[in-house]
Amino acid sequence: MARTLPLAGNSTALPEAALDDVQLSVVVPLYNEADSVEPLVDAVRAALVAHTAWELVLVDDGSRDSTVAIAARLAAADRRIRLIQLARNYGQTPAMQAGFDEARGRVVVSMDGDLQNDPLDIPRVVAELEEGYDLVAGYREHRQDKLLTRKVPSWIANRIIRRITGVNIRDNGCSLKGYRRELLDRMHLYSDMHRFIPAVAAAIAGARISEIPVRHHARRFGHSKYGLSRVAKVLADLLTITMIRSFRERPLALFAGGAAGCAALSLVFAVAALGIMLRSGVTPERMVVLPGAALLWLGLAVYLLMLGLVGEIALRESRDEIQTLPLMRETFG
Amino acid sequence: MSQIPLATEARVAAAVPPSRAMVSVIVPVTERPEPLDELYRELSAPFRADGRSFEFIFVTEPWGRSLATGLAALAAEGEPVRALLTGQVVGETAQIKIALGQCRGEIVVIHPAYRRVEAAALTTLVARVESGADVATARRWPRRDSWISRVQTRAFHRLIVGLGAGEMQDIGSGVRAARREVLREIPLYGDFGRFLPLAAQREGYLVEEVPVPQHPHERRTRVYSPGVYLRRVIDVIGLMFLLRFTEKPLRFFGLTGALLTAGGGLILLVLGLQRLGGESLADRPLLLLGLLLVVLGVQSIALGLIGEIIVHLHATRRRTYRIAGRAST
Repeated sequence: MARTLPLAGNSTALPEAALDDVQLSVVVPLYNEADSVEPLVDAVRAALVAHTAWELVLVDDGSRDSTVAIAARLAAADRRIRLIQLARNYGQTPAMQAGFDEARGRVVVSMDGDLQNDPLDIPRVVAELEEGYDLVAGYREHRQDKLLTRKVPSWIANRIIRRITGVNIRDNGCSLKGYRRELLDRMHLYSDMHRFIPAVAAAIAGARISEIPVRHHARRFGHSKYGLSRVAKVLADLLTITMIRSFRERPLALFAGGAAGCAALSLVFAVAALGIMLRSGVTPERMVVLPGAALLWLGLAVYLLMLGLVGEIALRESRDEIQTLPLMRETFG
Repeated sequence: MSQIPLATEARVAAAVPPSRAMVSVIVPVTERPEPLDELYRELSAPFRADGRSFEFIFVTEPWGRSLATGLAALAAEGEPVRALLTGQVVGETAQIKIALGQCRGEIVVIHPAYRRVEAAALTTLVARVESGADVATARRWPRRDSWISRVQTRAFHRLIVGLGAGEMQDIGSGVRAARREVLREIPLYGDFGRFLPLAAQREGYLVEEVPVPQHPHERRTRVYSPGVYLRRVIDVIGLMFLLRFTEKPLRFFGLTGALLTAGGGLILLVLGLQRLGGESLADRPLLLLGLLLVVLGVQSIALGLIGEIIVHLHATRRRTYRIAGRAST
């Protein structure tokens, strides 16, 4: 097929005009990856030489080096390559979501821009999707990273994520993943959700998820953009996802559960107070602490109930927009 | 911010106005207005000298109806002045929005109803927008007002930076120029109009602070009532929250709640150990404090969870990013 085409139109031409009927979109967020872009694009071209209708969506996430200039040049030379430039550095999740929004493929594969993932794995991810999965997550089999600062924290984090979300994925941190379009249509990533895509996919759309081993290379260019100190944030996000999975259709159930627990505690303190009064003959007006504790818990119970009602109102307000049924397909026929 | 080739291209293609674009000057009439016709004459002079087409839109609330009479006379003389009168007290931000909906200039200048900078600054700001900035905001520099005012400004900006709401040298100048389309896209509501440059920065627009001479009127010392300072502080805290946590309320409420709960839990732990040692809890008010902290903590976390539910439910219709340009063949 044609490798390069003469320049047509200006750079803001509508993407729809460029390619029809894309089957596979590869989405790559880039942040200060000037050295990696060109080798990356070459590697993707080489890996997809057997595929016909693919596109590569490069998402520049506010790079401050020459990433954009290089990527724009590459995009101008090959109609299968498109560059989306975000207005500032938004972070990996919005950048990825931007790529998903732009991608037109029936199947979308995301990967890192720093060449740690190997584009040669893309066809395998696609093949696995064809087996009937909604999401295929790669896991780095022979990880080329420092043991103490990267591998161990990642191992612990993955265990925690697995335990809390109940989604059995070995390597949440690997960006090489494949998605069916139907799944992406149901998933809207924001904040820092890229860390938990499998959990989110399972929570929101009941996605069927598979894992395949993928190659991992040590970073050739640039330096890692992640730090270690993210525990609190990750925990908060995990709590959110777990809650959303269980209660996004019925927030009142969550809060009513909490309220019931508080009411029970309230009862315990009330009974204790009553017991002391009856046993040791303390007059009610001299009892402050235990009845006070009982009232505190009771107050919290009422508060949680009301908050649950607020949640129901919020849900009602936007029910139409989350009317996305879980993914499904016919089992036979 | 560095200019990147594609960004410039995209801007050129998108909507950079021609170099003699019409300017709309929006004046929300809020506090301590000066005679508006005088203000108009002074502010319009540089545009007139520049030979540029312009219009002035004054937006007054019902209490300021009488202020507009001088303007009517000007309009009768054929000056490009319009006065909009709101039906109720709406606040500065809404006044700006109303005027934005009405204005015809491709470049918009927002100026308070009193003098803050020399009038020539307006054309400087407009030139900055024409040369590529999305928003150009005036920085009164060098400051020539009293040290009290300067200390106030300094403290205010310390607070803004300290809370991580953004970084800017003079957010309070209130004088800005911007492309109209940019202003229409920046989400403005409540009392956040005064923080417009920070919101614009957050949205990824190129915001430039331009040092301009301060107006002689400004050199008077101005001390406000304590309520005003309190309102400003609350504004900044609100802004910080909106800019940093609107997508992840649980990070804010959860952290607050976790700290409270941990404090309460510590107290309860100590009391629990004492209880095991045989001491009674029934006459220990400390128990109430411990429980209260735990309860507050749980409330905070629960509130954060509700926030997350709401954010999640709205995620489908909200774009979390803005595209500055595209390139493809």
